[in-house]
Amino acid sequence: MTPLEILVAAVNGTPAPRIPVFCNLFDHGPRELGMSQQDYYANGENVAAGQLKMRARYGQDNVWSLFYVGKEAELLGCEGILFAEDGPPNVADFVIRSYDDVAKLEVPDDITTHPAWAETAKCLKILKDEVGSTHPICAYLTASTTLPALLMGMDKWMELLLTGPTDVRDELLKKCSVFYQKEAAAYRAAGANVLIYSNPFGSTSFVGMKRFKEFSMPWMQRDLAPGGVGNIVYYCGMAPFNNVIQQVMDELKIGVHYISPLADLAEAKAIIGNKGLTCGVIDDIKMIGWTPEQTRAEVRRMCEIGMVGQHFLFGNGVMPLGVPEANIQAMINAAFEYGKYAGVSS
Amino acid sequence: MLDQIVKAYNEAVFETDKEAAFDVVNAALADGMTAEEIVFKVVIPAVEEMMSNITKDPDANLAQHFMTAQIAAEVTEKMLVKFEYPPEIIGRVVIGTAHGDLHSLGKRIVMGCLKALMVEVTDLGVNVPAEKFVEAALAQDAQVIAVSAMMVHTATGDNGARKVRQILQERGLESRFRLVVGGAPYRFDNELYKTVGADGWAPDGVNAGRMIVNMIKEVKAS
Repeated sequence: MTPLEILVAAVNGTPAPRIPVFCNLFDHGPRELGMSQQDYYANGENVAAGQLKMRARYGQDNVWSLFYVGKEAELLGCEGILFAEDGPPNVADFVIRSYDDVAKLEVPDDITTHPAWAETAKCLKILKDEVGSTHPICAYLTASTTLPALLMGMDKWMELLLTGPTDVRDELLKKCSVFYQKEAAAYRAAGANVLIYSNPFGSTSFVGMKRFKEFSMPWMQRDLAPGGVGNIVYYCGMAPFNNVIQQVMDELKIGVHYISPLADLAEAKAIIGNKGLTCGVIDDIKMIGWTPEQTRAEVRRMCEIGMVGQHFLFGNGVMPLGVPEANIQAMINAAFEYGKYAGVSS
Repeated sequence: MLDQIVKAYNEAVFETDKEAAFDVVNAALADGMTAEEIVFKVVIPAVEEMMSNITKDPDANLAQHFMTAQIAAEVTEKMLVKFEYPPEIIGRVVIGTAHGDLHSLGKRIVMGCLKALMVEVTDLGVNVPAEKFVEAALAQDAQVIAVSAMMVHTATGDNGARKVRQILQERGLESRFRLVVGGAPYRFDNELYKTVGADGWAPDGVNAGRMIVNMIKEVKAS
């Protein structure tokens, strides 16, 4: 079976020789090609080459079309990214500096004609041509309730959300929701077949349950309505969200959940069961200081919890550059080893 | 009457309702309560109550942390101008985000709580070089240097808290300041703060206030 078929089998609970094994590697790309971050991210061909080389090196099932999270802000007018050689790029230019800027914010009619999309499109085309029929190609999309943090900074967004004028807040959210809808359509059309719907505000670590129900949920419904939830993975930026999984399944119909390493994996698995896919996520910040043996032991523990009744995927967070290469390889090898299902041939 | 005021104010803060919190304060002032009483008997106990609630309450969240700090800081600022005598400052802190890090939310929460707890705070902003932390701490005669970092590379890299520690060592300043850190990466590995040479960390901005106050007391006692 191909990795893509294995992923589909995991979602559906049909027989497969093993679990899907995802490894998210972003900042490692420039190092893999021996380039500076700025040069690497300037050309979509580099990002595609980096992803394909890292997949060949480590053997994980997935590749990524994500350059860096701030790419979405660039599609909305951001002109400054702070690059680092030892970590992910940051948004350095906030498009919204005052509430007046919300009215001026323009969502491109067709984001695929925006210059900032061109390199992403180039990357996706290569990935689709090379591995699109056999491997999951992941895309990262920020939900409307979280996107403002990239456009104005998290503290200013919190301020507007909690104490600012509601008409300004809602105007911004409407634009962000439209942007999400267009972006999801563009990624799907370009060949991405796994869409990570990222929304820390979809977790009660960011807002209380009341605000989750009355604020986050309606905006998520609005984001997802036109394109549907096919291929969507619910992800809250590593924040725990076990206590809302049931609501997300019932009301949004999203069945695939990327569980926080800070959450109880067994609890998440019990909630999701055979109705979707539980993605167990290793704490890759701890992997910085672990040995390969400790890494293997953690993968084994997670597989033992998650694989009962199938419907399980193994994954990681954003794999900091400080994680030793031996630990990355140990993690992936262990996931293949402990992630085997007895009695099913490949 | 004080009990009722404290209860109403705490409820407003817990519900992240800034307007209601100010209504309570204004009504208390109209009833003859002094600005000093409002800060020391209502606002500071409320921050301490929130620290305790956040630890115990599984539904405690970032929005609550943010509003607790904002309300406390704003009420305190408004009350301070009404004080008969300037209040006694507990100590001084310099705070900023690590070099290469532009995330300011956590720092803002910590600053809000510290101001309400009568700690003088110097905000160095975002993307702060390690040298600037040390220079500012010396210039302000601070007891604590606080370095916020939201990303793994800014939390653990060579230009963040680790470099601040190195400078303190090289200049023989380690006994003069405590170095504390905060931010998401430290929540995923609770031992991480030790590897960057920090003296302490807190899992959230509100509890960071308490930890920093304790550090100030330690430095002053030494």
